[in-house]
Amino acid sequence: MKILATAKKVVDVELTIRVDGGAIVEDGLQYVINAWDENAVEASVQLKENNGAQTTLVSIGGTDNTDMIRKCYAMGIDDGIHIDDPALEKADSFVFANVLQKVYENGEYDLVITGKQAQDTDSGQTGIILAENLGIACVSNVISIDVIDDANIKVSRLGDAGTEILEVALPAVVTVSDSINEPRLPAMRGIMMAKKKKIQTMDLAGLGTSYEDVGGSALKSEVAEYMESETRQAGQKFEGDAAEITAKVVDLLANEAKVL
Amino acid sequence: MAKILVIADIKQGVLKGSTAELLSKAKAIGAETAVVAVGSNIETLASELANAGSDTQYIADDASLELFSAGPYASCIVDAANQFGANLIWFGFSEGGKACAPRVAAQLEAACATEITDVTIDGDQITVTRPAIANKVMQKVKINTERIVAVVRAGAFEADESTSGTENVVKLSAPAADLKAVIKELVSDASGEIDLADADIVISVGRGAKDQAGVDLVKDLANDLAAGFGSSRAMVDGGFMAHNKQVGQTGKIVAPSLYMAVGISGAIQHLAGMTGSKTILAINKDPEAPIFNVADYGIVGDLFEVVPILKEEIKKIRG
Ligand SMILES: Cc1cc2nc3c(=O)[nH]c(=O)nc-3n(C[C@H](O)[C@H](O)[C@H](O)COP(=O)(O)OP(=O)(O)OC[C@H]3O[C@@H](n4cnc5c(N)ncnc54)[C@H](O)[C@@H]3O)c2cc1C
Ligand SMILES: Nc1ncnc2c1ncn2[C@@H]1O[C@H](COP(=O)(O)O)[C@@H](O)[C@H]1O
Repeated sequence: MKILATAKKVVDVELTIRVDGGAIVEDGLQYVINAWDENAVEASVQLKENNGAQTTLVSIGGTDNTDMIRKCYAMGIDDGIHIDDPALEKADSFVFANVLQKVYENGEYDLVITGKQAQDTDSGQTGIILAENLGIACVSNVISIDVIDDANIKVSRLGDAGTEILEVALPAVVTVSDSINEPRLPAMRGIMMAKKKKIQTMDLAGLGTSYEDVGGSALKSEVAEYMESETRQAGQKFEGDAAEITAKVVDLLANEAKVL
Repeated sequence: MAKILVIADIKQGVLKGSTAELLSKAKAIGAETAVVAVGSNIETLASELANAGSDTQYIADDASLELFSAGPYASCIVDAANQFGANLIWFGFSEGGKACAPRVAAQLEAACATEITDVTIDGDQITVTRPAIANKVMQKVKINTERIVAVVRAGAFEADESTSGTENVVKLSAPAADLKAVIKELVSDASGEIDLADADIVISVGRGAKDQAGVDLVKDLANDLAAGFGSSRAMVDGGFMAHNKQVGQTGKIVAPSLYMAVGISGAIQHLAGMTGSKTILAINKDPEAPIFNVADYGIVGDLFEVVPILKEEIKKIRG
């Protein structure tokens, strides 16, 4: 089986993020692998270990993506493709999906595993659009993947009414939830080996396409402006005798907030 | 004039509140409204769908549509969108909506935005507002296409009781089944439990509750109040709570009148699921816990001591 995992480098969401003049203040930000993509990489490596698979990682982004790709090597990914083209800076999910489609078509993959969403966009669209455009099966929010045979897998996803269990014909795209696994910490040996491995880096022309071809000149949507989020104000906090403060808070909930 | 198609949110044959919220908003901005309902044995919902504020009801009612399947559901929605000539297509927040919206957008060559909290229509220009980066910022997104498919964030729009519509049912034919991804089984949620999305009060339990006894203590309070009983990821990972009870960025997004976070630290991924609540009460023994930064009322204390008192005090006022 040939697996293509996708990973995006995103701003570290644990840090303070400031907005100024409609833009995010870049100063002091750090970039890390998107958490759900770490789950996608782990899922790929587990399938390789349990069933035998050839695993490739693709990441679209700037030059500093190479350390993330090496991290994925250290986790057990076999090959890395890095699409580095400055034209893609403002790309939306549809453009990323088109770029991923090119990568997919060059590699004859059986299974594409993406994160359920990227932590910078919080969109949750790219993998689903990719599958739709390719006309192949897609299951999102997946929490387990089992191989049935060369042509079929069994997955479960968290749906609205419970856990849905599906049989999926390959090729397919699955987008994974963080509940699917606990990503491994790479071992020292893996980290050393990862340093020496080659990464295939290319721009859009190298991929055999162009910015226009992937829809870049007709973006469906564009972020016009960033704004501070409406943060809640900390309210009243009570410390002291449990009986006393709890009675006080119940009174406030009933008579001030009027929610009891 | 804008034409807004709302996807009816139906669970176990019951129409969920988000449908009326979205239709109320659509009417409030002066749009022509329609609703599309997909499922099995749902035709009886037509008048309810009209009352919720739709002027046309596209209904795909077929035994094959009983279990959610993203492909066929998306086909029905695309069919309705084309028949109605919708330029805005709105899903309420649900896993089904999140799975279908990008498919529908790809088929209609429309833009797609998830978790929107607002929309403005200025002539032909549609702009949406949505949170990004784990709710740390908001973004205004300019839509460059004529059509947009959006998932509306839970609690973003309010239902207006005075909104109503007219019954005008259009039946949709059942689409072909998805043979590439076949749903085999649904391991259903514990039935009889209150759906987090509907609950007026949601009480969530976190790692502070430690073990089953702690979880049961908090659950008892939830039962007393007929509240939805939710969880942080820590208690789902710990095996104490079902996946579908997780509140947060990878779980449910809730916006009840009252949210109680019991023994929950307030990690950003948890906050992303509950800061839209009207009133938040936090109970935590650590006065520095980040949950207190978003709580209207905070009780610094040991939940094993506080929760039983809370039960008694609430009983006193609610009888
Ligand atoms: C990609 C990703 C997605 C995630 N999605 C989600 C999500 O959807 N939902 C979610 O909840 N988390 C999510 N998380 C996990 C999140 O980061 C936190 O790890 C999690 O929310 C912590 O749960 P907790 O607050 O219960 O536990 P902890 O952080 O361990 O907090 C326990 C709290 O209990 C308090 N406490 C301990 N004992 C007592 C006592 N006796 N009485 C009162 N208080 C006590 C402690 O002071 C502490 O504040 C996600 C993480 C990642 C990386
Ligand atoms: N630039 C990118 N490079 C590689 N993968 C990406 C990129 N953008 C999105 N993806 C994948 O698509 C998923 C969903 O992204 P999004 O639709 O932006 O939420 C992510 O978790 C990634 O796995």
